Amino acid sequence: MPRLVIDDLEIEVPKGTKVIDAAERLGIMIPRFCYHEALGAVGACRMCAVKFIQGPFKGIQMSCMIDAQDGMIVSTTDQEAVDFRKRVIEWLMINHPHDCPVCDEGGQCLLQDETVSSGHARRRYPGKKRTYRNQYLGPFIAHEMNRCIHCYRCSRYYQEFSGYRDLGPLQIGNRLYFGRFKEGRLESPYSGNLVDICPTGVYTDIPARYKVRRWDLQRSPSVCIHCALGCNTIGNAHYRAVMRVEARMNPYVNGYFLCDEGRFGFSYTNGGADHAQRPWTSKIGGADVTVEAALAESSSKLSEIAAVYGPEAIVALGSARNSLETQSMLSRLCRRKGWLGPVWFTDTAVYRKVRSAVERLDSGIAVSMREIEFADFVIIAGADLLNEAPMAAIAVRQASRKNAQIVVIDPRPISLPFEFRHVPAVPGQIERCLGSLVKGSISKEELKGLDSAAKGFCKALPAKFGDKESGISIPELADQLMASRRPVIVCGTGIVSESTPALAADCAQLLRESGKKAGLFYILPGASSFSSALLSGPDAKGFAEILSEIEQGSIKALIAAESDPFRDFPDRERLDKALSQLDLLVAIDYLPTETVKRASVFLPSSTVFEMNSTFVNPEGRVQHAERVHAGGVPIWGAHPPRIVRNFIPGGDHQPAWEILWKISAETSVLESVLTLGELIAAEMPAFEATGKAQYPVNQARIIPEKSEGSFVKPKTRPEQGQKPKGFNLLLTDRIFASREPSVYADTLEGVFPEPALFMHSEDAAAAGLSDGDTVSVGLEPGSIEVKLSVSERMARGVLILPRQKGIEWQRMKDFSAWIALERIRKI
Amino acid sequence: MLSEELKQKLRTMIADAESPREKAVDVMLEIQERHLWMSDEAMEEASDLLGMSPLELDELATFYDFIYRSPVGNYVIHVCDSAMCWLEGHQRVMDYISIRANVPIGGTSPDGLFTLLPVCCIGYCDRAPAMVINRRVYGKLTPEKIDRILDKLAGENEFHPPE
Repeated sequence: MPRLVIDDLEIEVPKGTKVIDAAERLGIMIPRFCYHEALGAVGACRMCAVKFIQGPFKGIQMSCMIDAQDGMIVSTTDQEAVDFRKRVIEWLMINHPHDCPVCDEGGQCLLQDETVSSGHARRRYPGKKRTYRNQYLGPFIAHEMNRCIHCYRCSRYYQEFSGYRDLGPLQIGNRLYFGRFKEGRLESPYSGNLVDICPTGVYTDIPARYKVRRWDLQRSPSVCIHCALGCNTIGNAHYRAVMRVEARMNPYVNGYFLCDEGRFGFSYTNGGADHAQRPWTSKIGGADVTVEAALAESSSKLSEIAAVYGPEAIVALGSARNSLETQSMLSRLCRRKGWLGPVWFTDTAVYRKVRSAVERLDSGIAVSMREIEFADFVIIAGADLLNEAPMAAIAVRQASRKNAQIVVIDPRPISLPFEFRHVPAVPGQIERCLGSLVKGSISKEELKGLDSAAKGFCKALPAKFGDKESGISIPELADQLMASRRPVIVCGTGIVSESTPALAADCAQLLRESGKKAGLFYILPGASSFSSALLSGPDAKGFAEILSEIEQGSIKALIAAESDPFRDFPDRERLDKALSQLDLLVAIDYLPTETVKRASVFLPSSTVFEMNSTFVNPEGRVQHAERVHAGGVPIWGAHPPRIVRNFIPGGDHQPAWEILWKISAETSVLESVLTLGELIAAEMPAFEATGKAQYPVNQARIIPEKSEGSFVKPKTRPEQGQKPKGFNLLLTDRIFASREPSVYADTLEGVFPEPALFMHSEDAAAAGLSDGDTVSVGLEPGSIEVKLSVSERMARGVLILPRQKGIEWQRMKDFSAWIALERIRKI
Repeated sequence: MLSEELKQKLRTMIADAESPREKAVDVMLEIQERHLWMSDEAMEEASDLLGMSPLELDELATFYDFIYRSPVGNYVIHVCDSAMCWLEGHQRVMDYISIRANVPIGGTSPDGLFTLLPVCCIGYCDRAPAMVINRRVYGKLTPEKIDRILDKLAGENEFHPPE
């Protein structure tokens, strides 16, 4: 490891570290514009010049271009280097419009900071400034090219790092322009990172534009709850409104970046632009009441019902957007009070898949998102990363940039920002494709070395499985897998069969035992699905069972804690009838859901920005989100109120766990366990390792060193029995438009994809349908009307229906369905 | 907008290359032979043929001096403005041509005959000041020589009329 001296301080750094990074480790921030750790060095801006006094380089050099080497003595404060940087800044400022007072970057601008710190204050150049015309880049990003200093960070991020091809450098020399071929919305769903990465104000965040100054913001480290990945964010609030969300560097999870859904989908917490969308006030029977009255009402009604019908007439629903605190409280209350539940998932099959995924993860095999970037072969089985977990697609792209082979086994018309081999297998075939690919990669020698369990598993895997139609040869891919050293299996939990997560784990385990450093990463359905799976026993009741008990009249009360069965359950009609039979429906939520509208008692809960909360991501990493602000009806958009009040309008919300505790009237719940840390540890044995009284827990991983299950005998042949006829209709997620907080975020409305039903082009041709037709999908009874989108890049025999706004998929009756060809009609 | 015949020619050209994008500049020059300049539509069709995004092709097109993204006249006069020519009177040459051919600097004459643009070094430093018109280079320019060249070009009918 090279050892060098920078500004009289000695440091030893790993080989390959740039001098600019070595200095940063010493706390010396060498000025820079083009250099960014995630993008690498290009040496374009000349700002990071330092003086090399001894060693293999001498004189003024760019510290981002030179690897730290033994014996180097570097000075960042040498007069020559300081003068050099001052001239560079003066040069870069020649065309800058000096519009800091009206620029949203003001106060968080690298150019501003480095200009001031360089001491450049007087303009010597008398010539005219170069000016540009800006472009419209969509609803998220404002373009102001005059501020550009030509560092190329945006195009390097946009094209090289994130893999999109519609923003880049045009023209030459002094006229260099970063923009699109034509005006229009940026194609990348990761475009918001341009705001973070631009060292000046060329790209600014439109939702926050002209609203607030950086130094007026309340800022706290937070965690994104839109999908399961748990990307780290910074929440920024002002005047009781969350103004913007920025990416927070976490080297194991999201790196420096965020997707646009997570970055711009925050407006649900403000109740939308008019602040009226969020349910701010407690309600009894639809009428506004004080929070105390609502708590007392639900508490007394619950004890009444428990006294008359017994506690098992009360059922509690949780969800995958509960915080860990809420989940622990809910789980504890159900046990202590004898309530039914908690039920975390409306789809019992998804619950079982998540549970088997969580059971199989151990610290040997689970990889973080960052570790995916270093894989040399990635198998994505039954997951649509761009739509289900957008930042995971960016992680796989980094592996692809390092020449990893990427294989996607999925029936959907997958599009990803990198090259990959698509095996368009229907859900029932995913396991066979995965199994034969892994089996084919185990050489005879490797097979001999395996222990009997692994050997038996390997032998039971299906042999050669070619896909003639797609022209993808599994044996060829298997050879490449055989040659790989660090393969990673990314397995979905949505459309796959119930046994697939366990098979993926076994395959990863097999690859591991055959000498590879194999990894496993699951795509789970929600921010808290990992912990909800940990909290429920194997015999937990499914939502459908609960529903029939409501119908039979044995359940009288339902507590929905941040859960909306009206959104999640595919049989709206049945649910409607069943829930109207309840004596009591208590809804605790921060979103204006259908359940909230129908609740007999409603209690507002806090969003992730308004409380301290904890979430566990799919690799078992516990992450703590700090409270950003107290919340309440935002006062932005109007003059602050002139009436003096001693309360905060809309300030009634409390963390859901606190509401649950209060309505349970179970004073003893927190008596035996005094703190939240103890509550969580008491409910989840996995937390014992982190220390019982520890709260908050942050960045610890709560997965065992060795998981218990292994090598379940795989199914060798396709399931026997009556194969249903027609098309398998699959419900899937779509970026921006499917996940719960996002659909209530009006900031995302401009980018909602058009509702569409996806079908293979040959299937469509056989049915006499063509792309763009409006079709009616006949159900029993009723139908769904939707636009048809045909694709050649998907499996035949399936229909893909996104669970998105604008599609009434809740008429489907079940989570998947078989649709006969004649029931798909053009209208 | 590109004729099927031209597209076929371009496709053959592209098929010869190891990777399509290495023919990007050749494809654009070929289109300019026919259409004089690269319109947005031509850019889109060409990028389609090359398997590039329109932006990626435009990055190249706007980088090079001899690919035109605005309409040009039949004769594009590029007057060299590198150091040697600049010392030897680049500005005088520009001004003279501008007045003589009634063409604004950076623009096109009303008759659509001439476009006047600067170009960076064309390697004719020993014969500065120099200019290049439709791939022909002229050095040691004097007002008389420029008169002769422009008159000759204006009198010639060999150029193709704009389509």
